[in-house]
Amino acid sequence: MTPTSTVPRGVVGKAVARPSQTASVQTYVPEIAKGLVLTAAHFFRNTKEWVFGQTPDPMLESINDGINTINYPEQRRPYAERFRGVHRLTLREDNSPRCVACLCCSTACPAQCIHIEPGEYPVGDSRRGYEKFPVRFVIDELRCIFCGFCVEACPCDAIRMDSGMHAAPYDSREQFIFEKDLLMRIPARDGDHQSENPRHEPGDPSYPGLTREQKH
Amino acid sequence: MSMDRLREFLPALLIVGKALFVAMFSMTAAVLLTWADRRQGSMIQDRVGPNRAVIFLPGKFAAVMALLPALAIAGAAGWWLVLARREAPTPTEALVFSQLAILSVWATAAGIAGRVRSLGVASSIDLLFQQIQPRSAAAAGLVAHLISLFAFLGLRGSEYAVTLTRLGAGSGPAILAVAVLGGAFYTAMNCAREKQVGLRLAGIMHPVADGLKSIFKEDFIPPTADKLLHAIAPIISFFPVLVLLAVVPFGAPLCLGVPGDWSTLFGPATAVCTGQTLSLQVLDVDSGLLFYLALAGLGIIGAVVGGWASNNKYSLLGAIRAASQMVSYEVTLGLTLVGALMIYGTLRVDLMVAWQAANSWGIFVQPLGFILFFAAAIAESKRIPFDIPEGESEIVAGYFTEYSGMKFAMFFFAEYVTVVTSSALISALFLGGWHLPFFDASGLRVTLGQEVLFAQPLPHLVVVLLGVLAFIGKTLLLCWLQLLIRWTLPRFRYDQLMKLSWRVLLPASLGNVMITGLLVLVAAEGGASMERGLAYAADVTELVVVGASLWATVAMVRLIFEPTRYQAMLASTSAQFAKAMGGTRTRRMGA
Repeated sequence: MTPTSTVPRGVVGKAVARPSQTASVQTYVPEIAKGLVLTAAHFFRNTKEWVFGQTPDPMLESINDGINTINYPEQRRPYAERFRGVHRLTLREDNSPRCVACLCCSTACPAQCIHIEPGEYPVGDSRRGYEKFPVRFVIDELRCIFCGFCVEACPCDAIRMDSGMHAAPYDSREQFIFEKDLLMRIPARDGDHQSENPRHEPGDPSYPGLTREQKH
Repeated sequence: MSMDRLREFLPALLIVGKALFVAMFSMTAAVLLTWADRRQGSMIQDRVGPNRAVIFLPGKFAAVMALLPALAIAGAAGWWLVLARREAPTPTEALVFSQLAILSVWATAAGIAGRVRSLGVASSIDLLFQQIQPRSAAAAGLVAHLISLFAFLGLRGSEYAVTLTRLGAGSGPAILAVAVLGGAFYTAMNCAREKQVGLRLAGIMHPVADGLKSIFKEDFIPPTADKLLHAIAPIISFFPVLVLLAVVPFGAPLCLGVPGDWSTLFGPATAVCTGQTLSLQVLDVDSGLLFYLALAGLGIIGAVVGGWASNNKYSLLGAIRAASQMVSYEVTLGLTLVGALMIYGTLRVDLMVAWQAANSWGIFVQPLGFILFFAAAIAESKRIPFDIPEGESEIVAGYFTEYSGMKFAMFFFAEYVTVVTSSALISALFLGGWHLPFFDASGLRVTLGQEVLFAQPLPHLVVVLLGVLAFIGKTLLLCWLQLLIRWTLPRFRYDQLMKLSWRVLLPASLGNVMITGLLVLVAAEGGASMERGLAYAADVTELVVVGASLWATVAMVRLIFEPTRYQAMLASTSAQFAKAMGGTRTRRMGA
């Protein structure tokens, strides 16, 4: 390093020229005016687009520079089709849950956030003896890690995570404990409460399994 | 009470009434400003902004509410039509009605067409309006406006003028009524179809909701605080700013004439008012500007007391900062006005406005004074870029750290009222107050030096009312400018703030005083030719104002008609998925 260098001794790096202090910068007022014109231009343009409903769709189109803000929650980026959202319990045709309380999901759950109390159908019900039903079906959505193992484990397609919702923020832990009624009320993204896989009830012609009436 | 007693009390009652009006004006404007501040910030930063506060009205009720104003307008137009059959309509009335009719037709058509375009066809009427481009409807309307205007101006005094007047005055109100009623019926139909209609008013509900909320919030007083001073500090800072506008005139004095005879109000203005006058100013005191400066300085005491009484180091720091900033900027605030005072030769704000109306606006005779005073006034209102006393990045929230609920709201509100009052004062001192360019007491009168280019006498009441509207418009424009500054500039550092005040603004204002004194001397010694030249220059400045307003209008129209150039942006699978679902703009996606 030569002694005439402007870089102080011991400092390694590139000497950066100081920004020029022109008269307009030093008097400050022209620079303020420039800034005001810039923000005012943004203001008028955005106001115009807002009033006339011309605001670009932040996902699909841009204006000139291509920077767009998604105004959540008024506008939302779509979740992918396979996004694992809040659970729902799918329903049969008669609006009873498809769940047969086999406890596969609660067994598979690594976070142990599913609690099921199985119950027998009453005497005389055609389903009695074939399958059980969940008296209680509780998911702690705060404990859930959204791994989707429960959905994989379910043999009846009774639990799904295709609601497209993320768990909403609540203000107490109790509110995150979703009971059966709530889980049954949550629709799929298309608003449907059933599953696309049809269920073949015992007695249906399409029922593939063994039935009580047949001798085997 | 006898008539004489009433007359005795009338001046006092008038002052109370005017004071109420002024206080309501500044508070309403301040509420609107709290909304405009948020709205403007969101519009600058491309955010949605305040829109969550909403009142849901039942669909049928909303339909009735949409119909009522339209029925009132149509009724007024019909009443005027019947009245006009009795008396001969003037060309001015015909022009106003034809312009209103054109406006109502194209605005209704463009509005409905735009709605159909964005929300889709819902009825058979929508199918009709689907054929109309909103842009072409607006363009056709603009052309019709100009044709009507030039036809009326060009054919003045010719034989066609009578026909044109009859046409405009006869068909104008009818078309206006039909268009307004049609638009209202369409809106009402759409409202009635809905179960409930959300009243959002572009977010204006937000400040209302905030105000209500702050009434019910907990009023926390720190245990170690001085309870009395803590309680009265917001009051000290709030009430002085409410009375500031008492010395600012809202319009030219209204000549009421002899009681019982209203001909002076609706007739052309006379040079000297005979009978009673109504001054559109609360206090007619000679100390005008001194009253304003004295009370504007009081507001700071509230901040200092509040900061000290909170017994919190951040509050105290904020209070100290507020005190030093106010003291520094008050010097500049006063000194910048000295130049203006030398020219106007009075302390009364109404006489200053009268001087500007007779000669030229203050911004042209005191350009440097205007900039300095504007900067000092923003500093006085403690708003960005001078919001050192709040400085939330450094001292939590400054002097109102320990305030909550309505007490905090009063500090907050006082700040916005200060913006309104300072804007009103600046518009009275430097932007001609109630004066509109080329308007004098008799009406519109375009002059350049000695020659009169165009004259349109107007009734006295109309001239005064136009003046009041002009004053309010200028005040709101300056408020908007202050908000724009707030959203543009970063906060000064404390030493920069002090440097700006003592090393820049103060010397500049002293220099302004000297230069002004020199110029006043030169103008006084100049003689008749100088006087004539100055009068000519004054008319040129009015021409500049008109030109600037026209340029702004044209620029605004150009902006509105400028097509938006969207660029498709389908780079990600997420975007393609969004497209498949119909986009994020028109419908909600996901949850």
